[in-house]
Amino acid sequence: MSAHDANLAYVPTWCPGCGNFGIFNALKKAFAALELDLEQTVLVNGIGCSSKIGQYINCYRIETLHGRSLPVATGVKLANHGLTVIAEGGDGDGMGLGMGHFVHTARRNLDISYFIHNNQVYGLTKGQTSPTSEPGMFTKFTPPPVGNVERPVNIVDMAISLGASFVARAYTGNMDHLADMMAQAIRHRGFAVVDILQPCVSFNAVNTYAWYQQRVRSIPSSHDPSDREKAKALAGLWGDEIPVGVFLREKRPTFADSLPQLTDGPLTAQPLTGIDISELMEDLA
Amino acid sequence: MKSDFSCLFAGEAGYGVMSAGSTVAKAAGRNNLWAFVVNEYPSLIKGGLNTCLVRLAAAPLQAHEEAIDCLAVLSQEGLEQNYSRLQPGGCLIADVSLAVDSSRLAEGVRVYQQPLLQKGSGDVAKIMSNSAMLGAFCAVSGFPVDLIEAVLAGEFKPEVFEKNRLLLRAAYETASQQTAAAAFSLPFAPPPAKRMLLNGNDAIAMGALQAGCKFSAGYPMTPGSSVLTYLADNGPAFGLVFKQAEDEIAAINMLIGAGFAGVRAIGSTSGGGFALMAEALGFAALAEVPLVMVNAQRGGPSTGQPTRTAQADLAFVLNASQGEFLRIVVAPGDIEECFQETFRAFNLAEKYQLPVIILTDKYLADSAATHPFFQTEGLAVERGKLADAAWLAAHQPYKRYEFTPDGVSARALPGTGGGRHIATSYTHGEDGFYSSGNREYAGCEPEVTVRALDKLFAKEPPILEELEAVRLYGPETADLTMVVWGSTKGAALEAMELAKGAGISVNVLQVLYLSPFPAAAVAEILGRSTQTLLVEGNKTAQLGGLVRMHTGIHLANRYLKYDSRAFTPSQILLKIKEVLA
Repeated sequence: MSAHDANLAYVPTWCPGCGNFGIFNALKKAFAALELDLEQTVLVNGIGCSSKIGQYINCYRIETLHGRSLPVATGVKLANHGLTVIAEGGDGDGMGLGMGHFVHTARRNLDISYFIHNNQVYGLTKGQTSPTSEPGMFTKFTPPPVGNVERPVNIVDMAISLGASFVARAYTGNMDHLADMMAQAIRHRGFAVVDILQPCVSFNAVNTYAWYQQRVRSIPSSHDPSDREKAKALAGLWGDEIPVGVFLREKRPTFADSLPQLTDGPLTAQPLTGIDISELMEDLA
Repeated sequence: MKSDFSCLFAGEAGYGVMSAGSTVAKAAGRNNLWAFVVNEYPSLIKGGLNTCLVRLAAAPLQAHEEAIDCLAVLSQEGLEQNYSRLQPGGCLIADVSLAVDSSRLAEGVRVYQQPLLQKGSGDVAKIMSNSAMLGAFCAVSGFPVDLIEAVLAGEFKPEVFEKNRLLLRAAYETASQQTAAAAFSLPFAPPPAKRMLLNGNDAIAMGALQAGCKFSAGYPMTPGSSVLTYLADNGPAFGLVFKQAEDEIAAINMLIGAGFAGVRAIGSTSGGGFALMAEALGFAALAEVPLVMVNAQRGGPSTGQPTRTAQADLAFVLNASQGEFLRIVVAPGDIEECFQETFRAFNLAEKYQLPVIILTDKYLADSAATHPFFQTEGLAVERGKLADAAWLAAHQPYKRYEFTPDGVSARALPGTGGGRHIATSYTHGEDGFYSSGNREYAGCEPEVTVRALDKLFAKEPPILEELEAVRLYGPETADLTMVVWGSTKGAALEAMELAKGAGISVNVLQVLYLSPFPAAAVAEILGRSTQTLLVEGNKTAQLGGLVRMHTGIHLANRYLKYDSRAFTPSQILLKIKEVLA
């Protein structure tokens, strides 16, 4: 397949210059590179500008509620673990309402890839603070002169701490690298998180393309992604230098691997007839 | 001669009064009697008063009575709270440590005190106390001790059983020396067929497994959790995966994901958990993903009364979630309906691609009754319009939400060739795309919005056509028609029999399906009623409001109970007499 196969005729409604275009194109590129069977692929998204990606890409998609992509993805994956399941959403969606689900999905190490469009602001509700907003940032909900006084969530650091078995960061301004990170995440067996740095051209005047261009640095090739401590140390870097690339890659059994019910194939393939509950009734006699 | 016998076992939590009750109920059920078992317990792990009421009769039972013939008690609190329930001529079995105030006992109550609480420490001593209590119970009531011993033999490991057996027998001998009279006069016989002892939640879980349910997710909340416990325990043998979720929001969204992917899935909770699920309920409806949810009601509002019963979530589950959409709400009234309607719920959820809510309450969920084995022949799985690859090949371009006369469009499951689509929580057109904001819909958004909502409600007529939503018990016409829903059915049916015995003609209208509301059927039955009595477990007459809203009929006579306990037949009979006086 080519990247074009994943295209739909629908016209994206993102603002001109939005970082989501780069993420969208990178995702299609990753699909093509992996030669994914799009009939066997489910994209689960939340709500927000980022989550609109599900409206434009031609695989099976379920557009959920704000913050709820991961539990829905969990249900899809457990129901049919043969499917490739990808969850997408923004920093507000996933780190705000969805934070609890992120914590627990990472602990479970289900074979799901999670791409977070991180633009440090709420876009679709027109510019409020997000959990990844920088301290001092002025938004509609944190106006001048004080601005945002909360510490931002470090997605990469958290994903490593919680137990995600693949953790990477990429920048929408470098599409080839982003597509590669996405492809590696999808290929990885286990919960794979990619923190995607993305400017919001309408509501974030701080973290612009120029801002990122000056700071984004590739993780040195000498980094060993199986070294959890080094990965944590790298994840702590944020400021004048922002590392991108693969921080952590661990081989661990997935949640589904531990379920004997799934050894005979996916739950969706189990017969619904010929079920005999007489033993259950005997147990209560 | 009395046709039934009730014994209340009472003691501190942890002393096994509930297992004492179920042991007696099981022994009775295996010997051609029928039992109804009601547990009452505060939300505590240790201490506090637990009671287990076992009512036995020669015919099936669906309710309890407050009056008891025998009280077996291990704690002073258990005694203090239940003096008045013990009937004249009944018997009191109490540990020697308890102070019995004879002046508070009804006439002719025989008192037996002996050591029941076992010395020693830990749970073992407590279980043993339970066996001693059962031994004394057999001696005093005349319930055959061999039958109890046979049940215990199946519950314990051999060495534990032997210890308990010795204690059972010793307590039996001690009590036998004090008494010769036997209060228990029901006939034991070999049963014609095996019977079970189970509660409503067990029946729901079994119905789900029979229906091919393969996934369940949930967060524990009394009294809904035991459906989940049952599935977690027994489900794997049927290929079911149970996932304990981080919260109720996660649970229902997992169920929706699984339903979208194509497995039958069920969740179970109580009102507070259901409240957290409300947003996702609408998501399932708008995305037309099949979903089966149990709400076992407890007292409210807010955290309310975790272990007590109520029927006060009806208006809530009928209206939960923003906007307007069609949902099916079924309120089983007994164990058989818990099983049958749960099986049906899965068919309905898939055929009509919408949420189905099974609304029960603590009384039904948690009270056990002797029941014949379920008849499973003739139960057929219906999955509705599922689009396979061949169908999809002939129907390109595939429109997941095609506007059809019955509102139901073919559902393609992920992994099926030619069925790629988007399922969404946004209002959408036939293709599933967000109709408000996409250029493709800019010229016709209001029209698409109307058609999309009409699509959801187009399912209502076929559902009303298909379902036998109301049930009328007793004579076609009567002096008084009781109107009930849910677990109140059992007490109402027995009250109907009691009334008949008193020369009063009564019938019972049970509204089994509360959404979509069977207005025509209810109006027809109430139209020929001369006098009515609404009986429900809440303060605001929620079913009464529904009946009035949908039929214009005002049910003026009301017996509303919101004291955290279930109705009893005798209480309802008094109310019937009051209305007809």
